[in-house]
Amino acid sequence: MSSSAPSRSAFKPRARLERAVSAWARSRQGEDRAPLTLQSKRIYILPTRAGLVAALLLFLMFLAGLNYQNSLALLLCFQLVGFALVSMYECHGSLNGLTISSAHAESAFANGHGELLLGFYNAGAKTRRSLRVRATDVAPKFFEVAPHSACLVSVRYQALHRGRQRIDRLQISSDAPLGLFRAWTWLHLPLEALIYPAPLRLRPRPPPVGLPQRSERERRLSGDEEFAWLRSFREGDPLRRVAWKAYARGAPLMVAHYDAPAGAQRVLALTALHDLPLERALSQLADWVLECERRGESYALDLEGRAVAAGHGLAQRRHCLEALALYEG
Amino acid sequence: MEADVRKATAAPPPVPLGVAPKGAEPPPAAPRGIPISAQRWVLAGLLGAVLLNVGHVAPWCLPLASGAAAWRIWAAQQPTRLLGRWPRIAVVVVLTLAVLISFRTLNGLDAGASLLVAMAALKLMETQRVRDWLIVLGAALFLLLAACLGAQSLWLVPLYAAELWLLSTALYALGAGESAPGATPLLCAAGRSLLLALPLAVLLFLFFPRLPGSLWTVPKEDEAVTGLGDQLDPGSIAKLVESDEPALRVRFSGSIPRREERYWRGPVLHRFDGTTWRRAQRDLGEPPAIEYAGPGYRYEVTLEPGTHGVLVGLDLPRGLPPDLYTAFRSFDEQLTDSKPSDNVISYHLESFPRHRNLDALPAAMRALDLTLPRARNPRSIELAQQLRADARDDHTYVQAVLDYLQNNGFEYTLTPPKLGANSIDDLLFDTRQGFCGHYASAFAMLMRAGGVPAHVVTGYLGGEWNRFGEYLLVRQSNAHAWTEVWLEGTGWVRVDPTAVVAPDRLHSDFDDAVTAGSASGRRTHAAPWIASTVQAWQAMNAWWQDEFINFNMDRQLDLLGSLGFKDRDYEVLVGILAAGGTLWLSLLAWRGRQSAGSGSRDALSRSWHRLERALRRAAPARAAHEGPVAYGERVAAEHPELAATLKPLTREYAQLRYGPPAGAAALQRFERAVRLFAARITR
Repeated sequence: MSSSAPSRSAFKPRARLERAVSAWARSRQGEDRAPLTLQSKRIYILPTRAGLVAALLLFLMFLAGLNYQNSLALLLCFQLVGFALVSMYECHGSLNGLTISSAHAESAFANGHGELLLGFYNAGAKTRRSLRVRATDVAPKFFEVAPHSACLVSVRYQALHRGRQRIDRLQISSDAPLGLFRAWTWLHLPLEALIYPAPLRLRPRPPPVGLPQRSERERRLSGDEEFAWLRSFREGDPLRRVAWKAYARGAPLMVAHYDAPAGAQRVLALTALHDLPLERALSQLADWVLECERRGESYALDLEGRAVAAGHGLAQRRHCLEALALYEG
Repeated sequence: MEADVRKATAAPPPVPLGVAPKGAEPPPAAPRGIPISAQRWVLAGLLGAVLLNVGHVAPWCLPLASGAAAWRIWAAQQPTRLLGRWPRIAVVVVLTLAVLISFRTLNGLDAGASLLVAMAALKLMETQRVRDWLIVLGAALFLLLAACLGAQSLWLVPLYAAELWLLSTALYALGAGESAPGATPLLCAAGRSLLLALPLAVLLFLFFPRLPGSLWTVPKEDEAVTGLGDQLDPGSIAKLVESDEPALRVRFSGSIPRREERYWRGPVLHRFDGTTWRRAQRDLGEPPAIEYAGPGYRYEVTLEPGTHGVLVGLDLPRGLPPDLYTAFRSFDEQLTDSKPSDNVISYHLESFPRHRNLDALPAAMRALDLTLPRARNPRSIELAQQLRADARDDHTYVQAVLDYLQNNGFEYTLTPPKLGANSIDDLLFDTRQGFCGHYASAFAMLMRAGGVPAHVVTGYLGGEWNRFGEYLLVRQSNAHAWTEVWLEGTGWVRVDPTAVVAPDRLHSDFDDAVTAGSASGRRTHAAPWIASTVQAWQAMNAWWQDEFINFNMDRQLDLLGSLGFKDRDYEVLVGILAAGGTLWLSLLAWRGRQSAGSGSRDALSRSWHRLERALRRAAPARAAHEGPVAYGERVAAEHPELAATLKPLTREYAQLRYGPPAGAAALQRFERAVRLFAARITR
């Protein structure tokens, strides 16, 4: 499965050339594995548009110097040529020797954006500036790595369809220091993301089971969600649960943890949606999972042949969404 | 799986819920902003470039550029909108008109540079993106080029270099974008790149194949170049004498002519209209043959522009300069360059102060040099006829006229009274004050009136020896005029009537004869250390002029010869360029590897790698997933005899690397321990 979205420019010569070049690069570089350190043989470099304009400018300067037989003008022109070439080397050097220490694709919802977490390490003695990393056709992410240090960069990718999605190619590029040249490399890491069905709200949630029905008023008084305790913030916690007031008072970033009333649970069953097409049904189930999670309710998932026992919390959410993502009917 | 995917694409676009990206980050497509510091670098670079051109651009350029820069700095801090489209077009029209009014053209260096300043200032009013700032920077670079084309004196070179540094720094600041570091790192980075580029620049300068001439004709600038004109009127020499500019420099191979022999022959003037002498309009054929008598002087002249193609040489050169194939020799022994250059040129000559003509003077030349304007200077003609009647022959007549000039109270001054239409009459009978031009003019006129062919020669007399550069410097202030008269049996003889009026003029530099007020006069009497400093500076300038500014195709090929290449052609140049360029590039590559790879490891990493290298003999290398401690454990398990030393070492490394910062002493201890350990294993 290709990771690049079928774009409108598919039949333009430039896009075709790009595709042919990247296919060629893929075949000569082979599969990559993190950690890897970028070497010259896989770093490509070309002048940017500004670089081409600068070349034209230098050529005009050269003609002027030659025609006026003016030594100083010629020396100036040659000095600038050397300067540009030095910048070419610096541009190449901003990638050369950069280590990609880790790469991980976070799950995402179909048609949305997922995140890739890339770890970089700069063993060199110079700050690597103006680096950018780009996955698929999504806008790039700029970053820089200080000397002798590591950094974690998250870059967005376009999630396509439910299921497993490979991110075949990453591009890391740099136009440091002057923007006259752009060096880049393609990474073909074994990155695979699990794509959840895009949530879709078509039906109300099934009623909770295992508890006597309460009136709406009662429910509102007691609250479905019972505040239990605060725990420290972890990557991935929903922002609406963050205890901002406590944070504003100077406390560390904390997340409110809720407990649903014991025993109350909803069973989210695929069979209840048998009249919908499969993908829409799965999308509806995903929406229900998110909704239950948002309200802190306990829920179970029942796909034909695959069931997730009742529970709630991040692990439950992940289990359910993974089951939805991988469900094959 | 595939089937599901196809189904999913057919489904209507679902409502994206809960797919908001983690954390609050700006939209990644937002253009990178240009920090104000980078903007200021570019503005400073532009102003510097305008300042370097301030001598030859329109006077409104500097205020315009400073105003635009100030406005831009102000606008960057305000939520102001930049100029709209129509106002901008209006400003373009106004500025173009301003250039047209200032120069009456848009062509040429001055008008072009002014236009460039105007457009750069205008660009400042709409700069928002990096691209716009790059355009401003490009304009500044072109202005620097225009400054180089305008003047390449040695003292300007540091200014140009500083400006180049400034512009490079601005380029770095723009390239760094939002993460722009402070001024010092930027200046260092740009300076380092420029220094690295310098070897290539020198290589290209020396060996990039040059052209023998221009690609297209360069529009001439209408500026008065001081130098010998192609005519002599009362006052023209006086203007030159005020100028301290160098006229020519002469390097002798062998002996140097004595002071009284230093007559540098320039334009020869034949046509006289009563006040002004002009050059002949056409060539009159072969000059009478000359017999040169030794000793001769061999020398190389470096001639400043401004002689209208006349090649100045020591009286009298033999033949043509061998290294200037466009030179020719006219009937009055005048050397002329058929393709006059706007630049400094140099050529070799051999001259013989002693010479005589062997043939008779052809009739056409005799007629030309006897012509006098009718009804002009009647009293002078009367005087000439009177003196001629008393003289036995031409020789005694010349002497009689010289005696007349010596004995009738004539004065030498650079500020003589004005003369009328009968200028010679006025000089001889009324004012009796003048300088070389006046006396040469009068003498030649009296000669012609007495039937002796004569013409005026302008050129230079004297010259100052520069002991640092070992050359003779002749300045414009050495300008002089004298005459040549035809004496039967001898041919053309140089007669300098000024020598009779002001004998000092011959034996010393002009400065001593004219004591009043001139700058050079003061300098000569200054302290010796000032004089020698001035001379050293002049020698440096001369070197700059000869070796750098005048470096052209011929010099380039000479350089090849002196480097020992037999073939002096483009192939050799290209070969040298290729070899030197490769060397330079590999230097860069080597430097790049040093900073990127293992060369830049910190001391701790170096020690650790030493340890790993040493252990490679004993056990399989450390796997990518193995931490230092685990690695130590594994090797220790395989080689129990190493365990006692190795385990503490690996733990120490982990502590130093990942623990709280340790002092240099701990690091040194670790290094020493590793070295000992590695030595033990290797043994």
